[in-house]
Amino acid sequence: MRQLGPLRFEHDPESSLTRTMFVSALAIAAAFLVAGLIFWAYGVNPLRAYRVILVDTLADPRALPEIFVPAIPLLLAGIGLLLAFRAQFYNIGAEGQLLAGTIAATWIAVFTSTPGPLMLPMMFITGFLAGALWGLLPSLLKLRLNVNEVITTLMMNYIALYAVSWLVTGPWKGPSVRGFAYTDTFPDSAWLPYLPGTRIHWPTLLLGIALAILVAFLLNRTRFGFEIRVQGHSPEAARYAGINPLRTTLLVMLISGGFAGLAGVGEVAGIHHKLLDPSQVSLGYGYVAIIAAWLARGNPLAVIVTAVFFGLIYSSGDVMQVSLQMPARVTDVFNGLILFFLIGSERLLHYRVRWMPAATNQTVPATLPEEQAASGRERWKS
Amino acid sequence: MRWTKLLAIVAAVLVVATTGWAQPAKVKVGFIYVGPIGDYGWTNAHDVARKKLERAFPGQVETMYVESVPEGNAEPFIDKLVRGGANVVFTTSFGFMDGTLAAAKRHPAVIFAHASGFKRNDNMATYMADFYQIYYLNGLMAGALTKTNRIAYVGAFPIPEVKRHMGAFALGVRAVNPRATVHVRWLFSWFDPAKAKEATEALLAERADVFAFTEDSPTVIQVSAQKNRASFSHYSPMQRFAPRHVISGQLVHWDRIYVDFIGKVLKGTYSNQNLENVDYWWLLAEKAVELGGQFGQPINPVFAGQLKAARVRTREFGTISVYDLVNRRLAQMTRKPVAFDPFTGPIRDRKGVLRVPAGHTMTIGELNSMEWAAPGIVGQWPKEPK
Amino acid sequence: MEVITWLLESSLAGILVRGLAYGTPLLWGSLGEIYAERAGVVNLGVEGMMILGAFSGFATAHVTGNPVAGLCAAGLIGALAALLHAFFSITLRANQYVSGLALSMFGLGLSGLLGRGWEGIPLERPLPEVTILAPLGFALAVVLWVVLYHTRWGIILRTTGEAPAAADALGINVILVRYVAVVFGGLLAGIAGGFLSVAYRPSWTEGMTSGIGWIVVALAIFASWDPLKAIWTSLLFGVLFHLSFRLQTWIPAEPLQMMPFAFTIIVLTATARRSGRVRQAAPEALGLPYVRGER
Repeated sequence: MRQLGPLRFEHDPESSLTRTMFVSALAIAAAFLVAGLIFWAYGVNPLRAYRVILVDTLADPRALPEIFVPAIPLLLAGIGLLLAFRAQFYNIGAEGQLLAGTIAATWIAVFTSTPGPLMLPMMFITGFLAGALWGLLPSLLKLRLNVNEVITTLMMNYIALYAVSWLVTGPWKGPSVRGFAYTDTFPDSAWLPYLPGTRIHWPTLLLGIALAILVAFLLNRTRFGFEIRVQGHSPEAARYAGINPLRTTLLVMLISGGFAGLAGVGEVAGIHHKLLDPSQVSLGYGYVAIIAAWLARGNPLAVIVTAVFFGLIYSSGDVMQVSLQMPARVTDVFNGLILFFLIGSERLLHYRVRWMPAATNQTVPATLPEEQAASGRERWKS
Repeated sequence: MRWTKLLAIVAAVLVVATTGWAQPAKVKVGFIYVGPIGDYGWTNAHDVARKKLERAFPGQVETMYVESVPEGNAEPFIDKLVRGGANVVFTTSFGFMDGTLAAAKRHPAVIFAHASGFKRNDNMATYMADFYQIYYLNGLMAGALTKTNRIAYVGAFPIPEVKRHMGAFALGVRAVNPRATVHVRWLFSWFDPAKAKEATEALLAERADVFAFTEDSPTVIQVSAQKNRASFSHYSPMQRFAPRHVISGQLVHWDRIYVDFIGKVLKGTYSNQNLENVDYWWLLAEKAVELGGQFGQPINPVFAGQLKAARVRTREFGTISVYDLVNRRLAQMTRKPVAFDPFTGPIRDRKGVLRVPAGHTMTIGELNSMEWAAPGIVGQWPKEPK
Repeated sequence: MEVITWLLESSLAGILVRGLAYGTPLLWGSLGEIYAERAGVVNLGVEGMMILGAFSGFATAHVTGNPVAGLCAAGLIGALAALLHAFFSITLRANQYVSGLALSMFGLGLSGLLGRGWEGIPLERPLPEVTILAPLGFALAVVLWVVLYHTRWGIILRTTGEAPAAADALGINVILVRYVAVVFGGLLAGIAGGFLSVAYRPSWTEGMTSGIGWIVVALAIFASWDPLKAIWTSLLFGVLFHLSFRLQTWIPAEPLQMMPFAFTIIVLTATARRSGRVRQAAPEALGLPYVRGER
């Protein structure tokens, strides 16, 4: 309990949905406010910038579908990350797992003679497996040798990046691309269909929504989900309850990497129809998916919303490039600020704010045991 | 009476609706750039031309641009430009080809032009200002100025465009100095100063003393000048980065193409119906490209003395100085009809295979799909034909 | 055959000099990261701090005409950026890894936005590449090593990173020590970025650090959090980067450029098995926020 003027902050370890939404909205609003200041320093009227973001993306029926193009990979990778975070496994490697998925899918599409109707399913299956495989090594190292997974997954991102770069400049460079660093274009059977008039590859979108529902079910209604939740709360308790941390973490990581791999398949089969420079394949989706998962605060269904929200950020960055002639980096400013304010406001989630002017003179200890327990739960280390 | 009048109005509206595009008083032109406008090379040159285009048609032409567009994202950006009112869109990178074609089909009323590609449509033209003639002239000078007989070339991507430029350069080198070799390093990037720097250092370590390159920054010039080595400028007027070391170089005037194209759009010569066969392939004779490290100066006077002292025997002009040879060849290629082309046979590649038979000059199609390496080129050459 | 002629032609010294040039920002950056991590704070924001340093360093050097002033500005801005990370991860006890990630994104974005008008301008008076910051970096590494292992400050720093509660009990202000270490790390990262734009390149382009910040994070681990080891590890990776161009005719560049990242995983794996040796392993409280009174 803490008194600040007429406001009293009461500790409450279980955060309610309304409070979570209120705090998250507050964080996003603060991020936009600071972004406005930066735009002003850059020489763009912040009000004009906000108007462009809202009007040119949301109110324009031709621009609106573009929000979903980045939202699809963010959704798929985000659900997987959320699951990993719930199990206290800090997977920063979605970008690399996504790229692993693109490699596998490209291999199926360009270098195997998979029959037409089997093509896309095969691409998704191998893409899932490749992503899972890319996540496997860090999880094994973590489980067997207690090696910090943040660092290993991060390093695996760069290994995947150079692997893709090597493939497209070297052995996989297509004979028909006139020397550019691409593979050949995929056969028609490896192209995902679009919603008419848009670039929304709807099968991937549906897959993402279905998997979000599946993961929500898995987390809340199954023994496996229970194990994940217990392990997320306290690894000691999990061990005490007879949960095998090896099995849980390994499974979680396979799913997490696999989903990111699926996101990669969607990008090459839905957008590019070839493998190309890694910085062009994924526009940082693996990293932004971390923010999308973080913002969802542990709820898989919420990722559907947060992924679309970051799709909007991407899309508004594009619009600001066109309408305000601002550089492409403007998206990173938004993403960085939102992430800062989200993690900065984390502790507010565990407080209830009350209007209690009467208690102004009361002195209370700065921290109470419950708070320490709560912050202890957020602790994590290698 | 009233019916015929109404019909006439309807017909007129229809005519205006379908062909009314043909003669707009004003056009809004959108540009899609692949890099940042400050890149000092390709994108910067297009942006300079964009501003010149605006000045060429005051009050008639308005322009917009988007920079650093990812290759897979050309389409949505084109959509945004069209929604912003653009009725002509230039896409300025090979990687935008498929996206531009898809957008052209979805916006049949808008005119598109794509740089350096080969796919066209009723409402999509292609254009290119090419340097291969100038690279040949640079090669002549490089061959005369090298003391170690090792010339360096830092290349962006091993694509036909760059291979053609290196080929022309090496042919020029060999025309004046049959013992010289051209040493190649690839960056696999159009713009990466850190890579360009290390590649230059690697070539310096191999005792190369004249540097040419295809990369959108002055890095190669700056690094080689620090070691007191000569170099050729690329794309922008980069001579000012090393006034005593830049011999010459390639300069582009994209505005020549843009002004011509938009002029014809304004006149109604070009419409959204007749671009299927419009392909600009503009060279020295069209003044779309220029020899030099800064505008208006084909050869840096610092090197004039050495080039005048170097003498070479030619079949056409007898024994003349390299300085004169460069100017003669330049004149031959600048005046129409063009009297000289570097890619005129017989030419064998570095393996000895005859690539251009005697009496044949390579066609645009052949130039655009050239994969073989000219004699004198040393180094990795992806997709080299057997 | 060609390889042999190449080996005969290229002097080892030449390769080392190039390794030194590219290794200098790696050294400065990783020294900073080592100190921050020794105090128990991981900072994944190195890329962001470096790019902000690179921009502010270039802008200052260009305006004042003094490259040293540019380096000072770069260090200052790097330190300020680190302060952001310190505030979020130490005071607000936010997740260190995510806070660093946010700093990297924010730094890349902000520098790209503010630096737009500065792209492509060359620097009239750049700093020499290897004669100043490389030897200074070596000296700094030695000094930091001595401080870390042979002074009271070093004990305070290491105790804070190994056992913050014990440090607190000894009367050490854990929060202050961590703040100082993180800000010092930012100072060095900023200077490393400034080196890129004022000496190595010397010019400014958005995103010009192109992943060096992440190599730095890897290097801090690769060097087992030891300032002296940071010297040869950064030199090694500098040489590797240069060799990826030297050897291009025979070996593709990507596998060589991949190595810092692969090595880090290998080293983490190898040292993990030898855990128990305190000098080898990570600081005990690395990545953990410190809450006073918690046991």
